[in-house]
Amino acid sequence: MVERNTFRLMLLILGVIFAFLYIPISVLVGLSFNEGGLPTAWTGFSFKWYGALLDSDDILMAAGNTLLVALVSTLVSTLLGTLLAVGVEIRRRNGKWLETLIFAPMIIPDIVLAIALLSFFSLLSVKMGLHTIIVSHVVFNLAFVCAVVRARLKSFDWSIVEASADLGASTLTTLRRVVIPVLMPAIIAGALLAFTLSVDEFIIAFFTAGAGRSSITLPMQIYAMIRFGVTPEINALATIVMSISVVALALSQRLNKGGLPGQ
Amino acid sequence: MTEAFLSIRDVHKSFGSARAVTGVTLDIHENEFFALLGASGSGKTTLLRMLAGFETPDSGDVRLEGVSILDQPPNQRPVNLMFQSYALFPHMTVAQNVAYGLQMDRLPKAQIKARVHEILQVIQLDHLDRRKPDQLSGGQRQRVALARALVKRPKVLLLDEPLGALDKKLRSEMQLELKRLQAEFGITFVVVTHDQEEALVMADRIAIMKDGGLLQVGTPHEIYEHPATRFAADFIGVMNFLPVTGAGTGFVAADGSPITAGHGLTQSGRAVAAIRPERLQIGSAGENRLTGRISAIAYHGLDLQLHVTTTLSDTDLIIRMTADVADTQAPAIGQPITISWSAKDTHIFPI
Repeated sequence: MVERNTFRLMLLILGVIFAFLYIPISVLVGLSFNEGGLPTAWTGFSFKWYGALLDSDDILMAAGNTLLVALVSTLVSTLLGTLLAVGVEIRRRNGKWLETLIFAPMIIPDIVLAIALLSFFSLLSVKMGLHTIIVSHVVFNLAFVCAVVRARLKSFDWSIVEASADLGASTLTTLRRVVIPVLMPAIIAGALLAFTLSVDEFIIAFFTAGAGRSSITLPMQIYAMIRFGVTPEINALATIVMSISVVALALSQRLNKGGLPGQ
Repeated sequence: MTEAFLSIRDVHKSFGSARAVTGVTLDIHENEFFALLGASGSGKTTLLRMLAGFETPDSGDVRLEGVSILDQPPNQRPVNLMFQSYALFPHMTVAQNVAYGLQMDRLPKAQIKARVHEILQVIQLDHLDRRKPDQLSGGQRQRVALARALVKRPKVLLLDEPLGALDKKLRSEMQLELKRLQAEFGITFVVVTHDQEEALVMADRIAIMKDGGLLQVGTPHEIYEHPATRFAADFIGVMNFLPVTGAGTGFVAADGSPITAGHGLTQSGRAVAAIRPERLQIGSAGENRLTGRISAIAYHGLDLQLHVTTTLSDTDLIIRMTADVADTQAPAIGQPITISWSAKDTHIFPI
């Protein structure tokens, strides 16, 4: 039974890979509930480190900033990214070049993009703060939203656009009543992806936040705290950030596969 | 003479170097069921899309009730198109799909509701008004697409291969259904099809298109019984061809036997004689006759088609034999056979 043994070996490899991926995360989540707070000994289950987060004004402010940046950049990039995707699909001419240009921010290393944005803002003497983080996050989120919506457009039946015009609708009405509703699952999936990316983005935010402490985001706050060692609060905070990302990503995946909610 | 209801005047359209429509002039009457018949690439769909407004002719004019409609975009033309793919809005219910066009006309809500209900009853889908398109069968989707275009009561309804996606039985049902709806609503129908049988059954008049131009325009009877060209003769129905030589109405076949034609040919020389299978009869009653040997028998239920090998043609001749005749004198493969037909059923085309 060679095949059976091969199958078992493959299962084993799969198990090792998953262990490698998820044990560190599990340890982090586990420790965030460890009463004693020491990574060496389990002393009981507790929410106290989560409570401690609420007592820290720095963390609450960072959380608020992160949420603001993520929401605004998601909103803007979803709107622009969707229009961009539809526009590029309609105007097929030079499509390859446009596509490469649009998707470049997804591929360019974050650090390069971060330096580029920093230089750009400095060159224009823009005072940096939350608004510059938002603009910077729109830059890469735009590419991701556009990619998700364009994937959906590949299987889009353009004859429904002609049908809408034939039945008397203007271009704008067609966009509002036919194109956007049909693309909605992809648009929401793109938005959730953008939100996820923005929430845990560190490098670009770090470079474009400016000097003040008032525009610090959660990943930046964690980075600042970690210089004094990994505290149980950091574990709790990281667990929260991760949960938000996982939920948003799972929703995004689901939507992109299935149809409209309730369909 | 007053101008026709829908008048297509010397319309040309090219896509790059490909000439899709090359100078089509055509008059379509009010309340007419008109079929544009042609193989794929004949330009019939491009012509239809120009009527709908999705393509603009390079030159020529399209006039509806004497007024050019070329400057009207699709959403302003009093013309609706039923798409080959049906193009139903996937996120809307059947009722919402049908109501869409009326909402664009900004009709009062109550009126929209009444008209949607009415048309759904006509196509017998009012019990499915809350279904989404992906919950319908192919035949049901086809009827929703038809209702959606018809509910606006356009001056002209354009149908692009309306029955192309249906199975054979449903297709023949819908052919009669479309004819009934056309008569009931009194709307001019222009249907594009590659199916010659469909065109013969449904249309009042047919235009045969080839290579972007019109080959022949006429009633189904004219087109079938008096094909103007060899292509039209071959394209519509089944046709037997025999190479002949001669002039006037007197010709000789390859083996020297005389063939008399119903219509003369001014030019003398090589030609081809064309006879429909149902005009050929077994026995020697007609003016023209030949002998051959049965090479194959195709059973169609309603009738039999005998394939007959002769010395007159490289291809087998096809003869239709009705079921009752076949019952009394059962044909056998290899059996010698004498066939005859009358001069008036013999069409002659120059080569």
